[in-house]
Amino acid sequence: MLIKRSDGRAAKQRLASAYQGLSAGGLDRRAFLRNAGLTGVGLAGLGVVSAGRAERTGAATGTADHSQPITRVKNICTHCSVGCTVTAEVQNGVWVGQEPSWESPINRGTHCAKGASVREIAHGDRRLKYPMKLVGGQWQRMTWDAALGEIAEKMMAIRQASGPDSVFLLGSAKFSNEGAYLFRKFAAFWGTNSVDHQARICHSTTVAGVANTWGYGAMTNSYNDIRNAKTMIIMGGNPAEAHPVSLQHILSGKEMNRANLIVIDPRFTRTAAHATEYMRIRPGTDIPIIWGLLWHIFENGWEDKDFIAQRVFGMEKVRAEVAKWNPAECERVTGVPAAQMRKVAEIFATQKPSTLIWCMGATQKTVGTANVRAYSILLLATGNVGKAGTGANIFRGHCNVQGATDFGLDVTTLPAYYGLDEAAWRHWCRVWDVSYESMIARFDSKAMMEMPGIPTTRYFDAVTLPRDQVQQRDNLKAMLVFGHGGNTVTRMPEAKKGLEALDLLVIVDPHPTSFAMQSDRRDGTYMLPACTQFECDGSRNSSNRSAQWGSKVVNPIFESKNDYEIVYRLAGALDAAAQRRNMTVRFQGEMFKGFEVRDNAPTAESILREINRGALSIGYSGISPERLKLHMQHQDQFDLVTLRAKPGAPAEIAGDFYGLPWPCFGTPEMRHPGSHILYNTSLHVKQGGGVFRARFGVEREGKTLLAEGSYSAGSEIQDGYPEFTVAVLKRLGWFDELTAAEKASIQRHFPNNIDLASWATDISCGIQRVAMEHGCVPYGNAKARADAWNLPDPIPVHREPIYTPRTDLIAQYPTLPDRRAFRLPHLGQSVQARSHQVAPNFPIILTSGRLVEYEGGGEETRSNKWLAELQQDMFVEINPADAAARNIRDGGWVWVRGPESDSKVRVKALVTERVGAGVAWMPFHFAGWIGGEDRRSKYPPGTDPIVLGESVNTVTTYGYDPVTFMQETKVTLCQIAAA
Amino acid sequence: MARMKFLLDSDRCIECNACVTACKNEHEVPWGINRRRVVTLNDGRPGERSISMACMHCTDAPCAAVCPVSCFYTTADAIVLHDKDLCIGCGYCFYACPFGAPQYPRVGNFGSRGKMDKCTYCAGGPQADNSPAEYTQYGANRIAEGKLPLCAEMCSTKALLAGDGDMIAQIYRERVQRRGYGAGAWGWRTAYRETVAV
Amino acid sequence: MRALLLALLLACAGLTAQAQTAPAPLSDRDQSSAEELELQRTLQGGRIEGRITIPNQQAATLIQPAGREWRAFHNRTLAWVGGVAVVGMLALLAIFFFSRGRIRIEGGPSGQTIQRFNILERANHWMVASCFIILGLSGLNLTFGRHLLLPMVGPEAFTAVSQWGKYAHNFLSFPFALGLVVMFLLWVRDNIPNRRDITWFKMGGGFIGKGHPAAERFNAGQKVVFWITILGGGAVAASGYFLIFPFAATDIAGMQLSHIVHSLLAVLMIAAMLAHIYIGSLGMEGAIDAMSSGQVDVKWAKEHHSLWVEEEMGKTPAGAKHV
Repeated sequence: MLIKRSDGRAAKQRLASAYQGLSAGGLDRRAFLRNAGLTGVGLAGLGVVSAGRAERTGAATGTADHSQPITRVKNICTHCSVGCTVTAEVQNGVWVGQEPSWESPINRGTHCAKGASVREIAHGDRRLKYPMKLVGGQWQRMTWDAALGEIAEKMMAIRQASGPDSVFLLGSAKFSNEGAYLFRKFAAFWGTNSVDHQARICHSTTVAGVANTWGYGAMTNSYNDIRNAKTMIIMGGNPAEAHPVSLQHILSGKEMNRANLIVIDPRFTRTAAHATEYMRIRPGTDIPIIWGLLWHIFENGWEDKDFIAQRVFGMEKVRAEVAKWNPAECERVTGVPAAQMRKVAEIFATQKPSTLIWCMGATQKTVGTANVRAYSILLLATGNVGKAGTGANIFRGHCNVQGATDFGLDVTTLPAYYGLDEAAWRHWCRVWDVSYESMIARFDSKAMMEMPGIPTTRYFDAVTLPRDQVQQRDNLKAMLVFGHGGNTVTRMPEAKKGLEALDLLVIVDPHPTSFAMQSDRRDGTYMLPACTQFECDGSRNSSNRSAQWGSKVVNPIFESKNDYEIVYRLAGALDAAAQRRNMTVRFQGEMFKGFEVRDNAPTAESILREINRGALSIGYSGISPERLKLHMQHQDQFDLVTLRAKPGAPAEIAGDFYGLPWPCFGTPEMRHPGSHILYNTSLHVKQGGGVFRARFGVEREGKTLLAEGSYSAGSEIQDGYPEFTVAVLKRLGWFDELTAAEKASIQRHFPNNIDLASWATDISCGIQRVAMEHGCVPYGNAKARADAWNLPDPIPVHREPIYTPRTDLIAQYPTLPDRRAFRLPHLGQSVQARSHQVAPNFPIILTSGRLVEYEGGGEETRSNKWLAELQQDMFVEINPADAAARNIRDGGWVWVRGPESDSKVRVKALVTERVGAGVAWMPFHFAGWIGGEDRRSKYPPGTDPIVLGESVNTVTTYGYDPVTFMQETKVTLCQIAAA
Repeated sequence: MARMKFLLDSDRCIECNACVTACKNEHEVPWGINRRRVVTLNDGRPGERSISMACMHCTDAPCAAVCPVSCFYTTADAIVLHDKDLCIGCGYCFYACPFGAPQYPRVGNFGSRGKMDKCTYCAGGPQADNSPAEYTQYGANRIAEGKLPLCAEMCSTKALLAGDGDMIAQIYRERVQRRGYGAGAWGWRTAYRETVAV
Repeated sequence: MRALLLALLLACAGLTAQAQTAPAPLSDRDQSSAEELELQRTLQGGRIEGRITIPNQQAATLIQPAGREWRAFHNRTLAWVGGVAVVGMLALLAIFFFSRGRIRIEGGPSGQTIQRFNILERANHWMVASCFIILGLSGLNLTFGRHLLLPMVGPEAFTAVSQWGKYAHNFLSFPFALGLVVMFLLWVRDNIPNRRDITWFKMGGGFIGKGHPAAERFNAGQKVVFWITILGGGAVAASGYFLIFPFAATDIAGMQLSHIVHSLLAVLMIAAMLAHIYIGSLGMEGAIDAMSSGQVDVKWAKEHHSLWVEEEMGKTPAGAKHV
């Protein structure tokens, strides 16, 4: 290396142990070749040695032998939600190469830094290799059977003493759909609703916000469809780093249509660099911005009056709120000049189709749900929903966060958003073929069975708060974490106390995650190596709701096991423990009876078939494993922009949208093509058309909630209509169009009153079929709600962040009063009152975000040597003015202090104009240091990520969205000083 | 015969570093050796542009001109390669290269340079195509398999183009005409003494 | 010139903007053009630099047109300067030898000797000298070997020679530099220039004219060699260390400058040392003894260092050093 750097010395020392195996002189695969004397003649001779030898060499080197055949396997990138196809080259069971996946209509051969280096994951030098437990603070190796046995024993002891709700089950957006569903089902059989995953901390507010607006909590269009847009606003998102391949579609669209690309963000991001207009706002003022834009739109009559009249409920209340946000007030609160607001408003409202793209800048706020609602209302007011090039293009985070949300890793619902009420439970009991009463018996009570569980943002509060503050039998005592880091949740100093107070902590992950180092636990901690999705079959949903089938590339490496097997074996171990304790509850037999179990694991296909049977409400019934596999096989047959199978495609996929984006109604045999664009009235429902969902009744305050004069193409009912039930079918005279078999199925499942059977609970899919035959959308045809009366703020209003530098605005725009939700107290105004004392000493707004090289908590990506090399230090971006005032130089060490728990982190300064004066930004992927202390030794030996650093969430603070308990990561206060 | 070149459309490049890790992954390039890198100009300000840069495989390559042991050679596709068995790691090519392409593993004492390593345009080296010996020294030889460099093939926004110079210039030209703007072809004036006229 | 170019460019931009229906998006209008930037930097001799995430800050330089100047220096300037200096000096010496012949001790050696350099001085001299020869040869090889040696021995052998030459060059730089320091300490006292040196030069040092000018321990010619060695060698060593530890203390421009200084001074020193070697061996009878046995003929000494001999004689009893 031709490099000597003075400021890098410390980093190098820190990296010294990590560096082994990376440098040219270390143990990289090439060096291995050299050291093994296999270069030149040695390797040339390999062609003739026995297969066993070649395989061993291959396993060690991971390089392709071109004289031997190479198998190509398609899977999906395990990083973000874009869903890039990964084409792996496999030889002798070793992943030796990666080729561009030209056929995929989503990524068309391309990748980002993470996708281009995923092969490293399945080599996994730093993976967790075998089950381990903490004994007196030291990690000890153990067998799977012993580990599961001990874990089961402890879980059952806790169940006996404190009830099933004392076990917190944290799942993962890294699961396949099947894994997520299986884990949710496990939680149901265990008897708790405290089962959550990363969506809580990424887009839970989006799901709540958009589902409450127009029916479904998902991206309405797709990455590909953005190519049709004439105006794009990206607000609170940085897809250039978070979803790089999406920029292929965004920039192509921008170029082809000469489209406007407007970026609204406190930070001049890599995305903003490509914008035609960049608007810098004060963090936490999204609603004033949207209302400010709408002010100009209403003022100038740019709104889509027909669309509002036909398809929107309650817009007049929005007008009343928007009227308050005249240009002067808007500028006072947000800092954006009135002229720019007017310009952007005019472009967005008049140069259509327009789309609004958002990410966690919108959602990770104390007003996250309200933000999302405001965004949706802006789209509704301008008629930008349900057409090509429009829509709420919500870029979700992890590779299967959409699927994991869809399949119920959520404390408020069973799979497919059925909720937790008795009807929901009864539906799933029918799907699972178990009695409703037997499920009640698994819970502490029917009340607990229907009460939302404890969300991942607050698990530690549920451990440490006094017992009477936690609304369940006992505090949390145990936590099972599958595929989830601990450093992505705010208030880490508090989390540390919570973790240390747990009786049992089980970490199931390909990597040790930050939970390994985050606390000073000494016992009662287990780590089980899960394999990645590359070592496992299953489907995953991209952000655009397209499902893609990933085929296993290689067998699970080391002793790791796939999620299906782990859950299956854990259920078995729990049975054994229950038997030892003379408890009557059993798990494995009932839970897995519908699946095909092979080699100690249910097959992904059989799990997906059960999902098809049950997840009717999101139209997952038509998405069979066979259809998904066909789509992967014929990827090249789908159009780049419409995602529709091109003319001349094989009959078995003809007319389909790629990946059957849900809703894909009816049985697989009905061949619904999936819905590329939600609520698209220009298509027949059987061609993927739709309308806003009738989810909130038919009437409110004397006004109809159903659509007026708007319906999907070919509908026999040319007006709004409620969701379809047997009662509705009878009323329309369509009941007898159900086949005898369908009627029998309904009769069997609804013996008391078949009128109650609906499109979402009729397992035969007959109601859906009949509705679609008449061109009607099974879920009804309603208006979208500008007024969501069931939310704390039915019309979004601005509320200052909990910790705000603008203390002058608190009185006028206070946060919500203290309240209770999700079994826990939720403080609002009482914490916000601290701002008056905090702001003078912590004058800089701290916000956080993504780096392209890393993902989520970052343990997996920081263990990938190719990625780790690119970002070797945790840093804070600070404006040159703020840096100069503090004598901070670029690249120097600084302390960033937070206003709670005396928290501080030691990071490098990156002096840049990306952030405005008074704002600092930190990436959230780092862990391994706490308050300046390097805790590398806490990781099991050999599993420590290459790069460690401070977690931004050590200094983030209190603040939760009232609807979902989303954490506030985007606006808090800090102080920065040179270290 | 084709004249292979790289062309970086900085209006598309988003500094996602796919080119960097694709290269590392394909050729198993160790830490500290950066055959390709992404540099961001005007960071954080309007006009910010990121540019992915590697060996440009220059016409009249300066590295070849100054090499004391004459270890460089140019293939029929005009790809500039070198023979590591001849390289002595003197570092002269780094002084002459306008693009900072040559990289040196640090071996031995006081930062003494090992044999130079640089982008091979995924065309390997002088050994037999796709032989293990070639892979060990130079990495994969995609050109021999009829493929293009992986960095360009995997570029997330198709900002990085690789292939015959005339063809990629034409692609770029069409892009600029369609969208109405273009910052030009980075490094072309220096590497090839020509620009892409639009 | 640049203003003109800019105006031209703006005019072009204006034209294209007019020709299109939709205006180019805002932020794309004020961006810098790659070709324009490269041209400017080339004219100014500057670099195009940005921000990079990897720790190697050298990589943040996107384009450095100065490489072209360095290439021109290395391939043309250095080759010519070096070639002229070395070959020219050899030619001069040859002419001198054939015209003047070997400078003999007038009337032959006396047989009586006197100690000129002690063992430390001689050892140090030879350490420096041998290092210098290898450094010089391996250095010259890097500049000329490709054209001279490579065609003769073939690439593999040439690489082997060059590789070992590089190792030798790197490692021998340390004894060489150490020797310079010792040499400086040992001899600086006797090498301070004084008025007598002018006379020495006026008399052509006894080589060209007739009769030997009076000189102390080191005559003016030797003082010149001394200072070339100390100052030139010091500068060559210092610039060389910049090159051995790449980028430890400087950036790419500094590296190029170090190389230019190093190589230019080195070839000039090589030329100077060729003269020194000639006069110390083939060119002058008796001179080699000073650095071989350390005992020089008294008569030789009196010719070239009359004042030193007087001083030495005064210090020690006569005949004490007879062999």
